[in-house]
Amino acid sequence: MDIQTKIQNLPKYKITLEIKAAINHYFQNKGYLQIDLPVLSPALIPESYLEIFETEFRYLDMKKKLYLTPSPELFLKRLIGQGIGNCYYLGKTFRNSEPNSSLHLPEFTMLEFYKVGVGYKDLATEILELLRYIARCISGSAYSFIYQGEKISLARWEELTLAEAFARCSGISGSDLFVEDKFLQKAKTKGYNTSGFSYEDIFSQIIAQEIEPNLGKNGYPTMVYDFPPKMASLAKLSPDKKIAERMEFYIDGKEIGGCCTEVDNWREYKSRSARHMKKRKEMGSINHKVDNEFVEAIKDGFPPCTGAGIGVDRLAMIFANAKSIGELKLIEVS
Amino acid sequence: MTRISAGNLKKGEFIIYQNETWQLQKAEFYSPGKGSALMRAKIKNVISGKNIDYTFKSSEYVETIEVESVEMQYLYKDNENAYYMDERTYNQYTVPLAVIGEAINFFKEGEKMFVYVQNEKPLCISPPMSVRLRVTETEDGVKGDTVSGAKKTAILETGASILVPLFVKKGDIITLNPEIGEYVGREKEI
Repeated sequence: MDIQTKIQNLPKYKITLEIKAAINHYFQNKGYLQIDLPVLSPALIPESYLEIFETEFRYLDMKKKLYLTPSPELFLKRLIGQGIGNCYYLGKTFRNSEPNSSLHLPEFTMLEFYKVGVGYKDLATEILELLRYIARCISGSAYSFIYQGEKISLARWEELTLAEAFARCSGISGSDLFVEDKFLQKAKTKGYNTSGFSYEDIFSQIIAQEIEPNLGKNGYPTMVYDFPPKMASLAKLSPDKKIAERMEFYIDGKEIGGCCTEVDNWREYKSRSARHMKKRKEMGSINHKVDNEFVEAIKDGFPPCTGAGIGVDRLAMIFANAKSIGELKLIEVS
Repeated sequence: MTRISAGNLKKGEFIIYQNETWQLQKAEFYSPGKGSALMRAKIKNVISGKNIDYTFKSSEYVETIEVESVEMQYLYKDNENAYYMDERTYNQYTVPLAVIGEAINFFKEGEKMFVYVQNEKPLCISPPMSVRLRVTETEDGVKGDTVSGAKKTAILETGASILVPLFVKKGDIITLNPEIGEYVGREKEI
């Protein structure tokens, strides 16, 4: 059967509910506005590596393509461009070509929040504060909790630049990591199959194979920051253009979320968007309609801000001491 | 040999990786959202028995090999190998103990299980989900000790020891999972 009821998961499901309530309390107390958003959109902003679901709206003889949103970013940024200020979305997002696994579901709960006037390191501090708030609501202690028998302290981040993480876990130096040819050569000598694969492909393979399993393992969540410009996605580059102002955080070897200082220059945004679209075409991804009006929406002045995204199912899995996000669900579809 | 995308790998399949044969113990999709999707695998070397974790790119090709699964009788072991017999042909096959791992300690001579064979050469075994063994030695449970989850050591008829609940007595037949060496339940005497 493709639909299974899992009533035995009720206690952990209830922890998920408490976490969502804690998230709402936290942001309301901090003056963030909760934004309710459509999950169906007629256009999207292109992201190279996120595949989407497409569907169709029908009325009489009219037909219109619609897409399930893989992230609430396009809507929230339009509102920020209009001066809505600090805001957050807590709800479902959808990613195609991501089968069920211990860390993935094609539809999952995402927390995305934006803070105006701060950079990525400031927001990293706030993420930690949010984690402490949730821990206090769930376990009564703001500073620690137990996951799979290990105590995790939320007193501070373990902080590593991405270059330090690569040097420590994979023996690849910062000077090799940031230079495409050198990086691919180094990966090849380490035994990775690099032929026909891009820098991004090998980068994420090495992260998954050698880096991630070692992060968030020293009793603290690990924050890894300062990414190569090639891995910037929509993160702003540092003034010297050498790094992308982006961070990700890990608990027990699992990526839970991250944040980045957002690109606030519409020309820069437009050129990155074109690059993402080109990559999607090369990979044969669904050729969705692009939200070109988004650029117009931010042209009139997009405030400096930082955006964060957290996988709420993964976060709940950690706080509920579960090994797989499936353990939190009352209904499982496959 | 067949070439398949790593994204299609499944538990139990045999692959060639770095010129050696490995069996997939686990294969799970993973996407970091920044680069191609990945397949996180746990693979076991069929010669050395060594387990490693390896992350494949979903789209990279991996060589898989056709392996036959044959039910055989476990005969006996020596210091290095275990010996099996195909009851249809009476042919005997040798499997290194290192490949079988700790599970061998829970097999009685004559136990039936599947052996993976490639070109008449045994690669490794598929341990049964559970085996039944008699307890030959264990202390009597302390009366009144009702702490849930409390365990004690029991010696089994194969000579192996295992942790069991306190109510298990000498002479009882228990079922256990040989792969992880864990108690499953106690069988009532008929």
